[in-house]
Amino acid sequence: MPKPIVLVVEDEPLLRLFATDMIEDAGFEVIDVPDSAAAIAILERRTDIRIVFTDVDMPGGIDGIKLAACIRDRWPPIEIIITSGKAWPTGVKPPERSVFFSKPYRQDRVIDTIQRMAA
Amino acid sequence: MVLDTPEEQAFDDIVFIASQACDAPIALISLLDNDRQWFKARVGLDVAETPIDQSVCRIDIEDGDLLEVVDLSQDHRTNANPLVIGERAFRFYAGAPLKLRSGEIVGRLCVIDTEARPGGMNETQKVLLGALARQASDHLELRRIARSSERIAELQTALVEIGESIRNSADVGEMTHTTSQIIGRVLDVARAGFGMVDDDVRHITIERDWTAPGVASIAGRHQFEDYGAIRDHLARGEPLVIEDVLTDERTAGNPTAMRDIGIEALVNMPVRQEGRTIAVLIVNAATRRIWLPEELTFLRNVADRLEAGVSRIRGELQQEMLNGEISHRLKNMLSMVQAIASQTLREIVDRKPVENFEQRLMALSAAHDVLVQKQWADADLRAVADAVIETVGFGDRVRLDGPAVALGPRAALSFSLILHELMTNACKYGALCQEGGHVEMIWSIGDESGQETLVVRWRERGGPTVTAPTRRGFGSRLIRIGLVGTGGVDLRYEPTGVEADLRASVRHLAQA
Repeated sequence: MPKPIVLVVEDEPLLRLFATDMIEDAGFEVIDVPDSAAAIAILERRTDIRIVFTDVDMPGGIDGIKLAACIRDRWPPIEIIITSGKAWPTGVKPPERSVFFSKPYRQDRVIDTIQRMAA
Repeated sequence: MVLDTPEEQAFDDIVFIASQACDAPIALISLLDNDRQWFKARVGLDVAETPIDQSVCRIDIEDGDLLEVVDLSQDHRTNANPLVIGERAFRFYAGAPLKLRSGEIVGRLCVIDTEARPGGMNETQKVLLGALARQASDHLELRRIARSSERIAELQTALVEIGESIRNSADVGEMTHTTSQIIGRVLDVARAGFGMVDDDVRHITIERDWTAPGVASIAGRHQFEDYGAIRDHLARGEPLVIEDVLTDERTAGNPTAMRDIGIEALVNMPVRQEGRTIAVLIVNAATRRIWLPEELTFLRNVADRLEAGVSRIRGELQQEMLNGEISHRLKNMLSMVQAIASQTLREIVDRKPVENFEQRLMALSAAHDVLVQKQWADADLRAVADAVIETVGFGDRVRLDGPAVALGPRAALSFSLILHELMTNACKYGALCQEGGHVEMIWSIGDESGQETLVVRWRERGGPTVTAPTRRGFGSRLIRIGLVGTGGVDLRYEPTGVEADLRASVRHLAQA
């Protein structure tokens, strides 16, 4: 059985590397991109992405919150994990089935969530 | 003003004496207004007022002298007056001015006869009429002072009320709305509101104004130029006071712009900041209105208070944004530390120390979250405890109880690290490592050697039998540093469970 694929969206290279290693170590395949536009390009090209793990604050006009809303709208089956150094903005409804982690996050909790979503 | 006030005995007495002394059937105290004269007291006449163009009293009023017309039907100034040629047939008139101490002349005390008096009044009558007019003026003055001081007291009370509501407001909108409401009520006007102006003071954006019942709101963006030559005053920071938009030179050119939105008189009071007009307090009246000096002073004071209130809220907002930004960067920095540590320690086979490190970082981050919510002021002990326990887990087996305690930023961070060590220790070796074990953390404040002291008591129960560790690890040393960095920690490895008492003076906790 092929490994489930997780798309990591994070503009900070060090944090992207960290998230990629963490998720790969847990037995998943990772594709990593630095912004939302690149993420959407991947999603439009491939149909095998199961989970998107995205940062919120990113350059390029589409932040992680908008990206998550777009994914929920265009690719409903994909699971979404959102992470940020800021608190979740008040008054904004998180997309259905999405999970939010404040940064820095506990690796074991993120991995538990990914495993549950992939199951 | 004394216009339209009920009759009073003192004024009635004066007109009665005047009529007797001057042997005239009619005597009046006539107060002059823009469009009419109104009789404060009268004998021998059955009307309370007449249009101003029928007034004899107003003739030569600015001279401030006794006016005597021995035959009104023969004088060119009065021979067409309806009161003279009509059935009332006034013939003789003598009136002494009512002069206030300020020099303002408000009307006349006059006597009227239906017979002409070619010889006029005798000297005694003239002196008497003058003396009675001074009496009447004094009464008017006293009434005016009494009314004005009553008004000042009323406005003072409103100002206090406004000051309080400004202090208690959390945002500019709330502040200006309640202020407008109070202004509207106390000045009895049609509309009151507040608007921020753009940089060159050409437009004003009025938010939620207050209006009297039946008066439309003018909330929205307006251009000053559309309402007359009013912009320059406001830009210079001068109050714009208009008693009648029809006659005021600044609005007379196009009074319909004002009248279309129900304004006949107005006060616009600029609110300044650093030498610039940043906002305008607007007060509109639906009838012509003479704004009293005390009312204008009141509005000036309100504008000053609003100015202070607006800067306070702006300062707070700015601080909040700055705090949010600093916090965001700090959290990103903690994430970077976590990433670097994780990458650096990747090759280490024993994952325990790596996990320990990461979890301590989490505890620090959790305390930081609580502090950010409180704007880096005091964090509550309970809130910090909840946040730290959440990062570790097992919250359902830890009972917390105690009063609200304010922790300063440093104390909050120390406490988060200490609690984290106690929690992880309990999870690995203590009460939380087996079924049925639980922890109580109870805190209280009491007096210890004259100092208000916080004591936090950590009690583990129901775990395996405890033996003291042979070596002091970093964790237990971290705990012994204490809440404010000066110890005050009693850590005991009782066989029934770990116990710890943490002590610190409440004053130090809040300052640290």
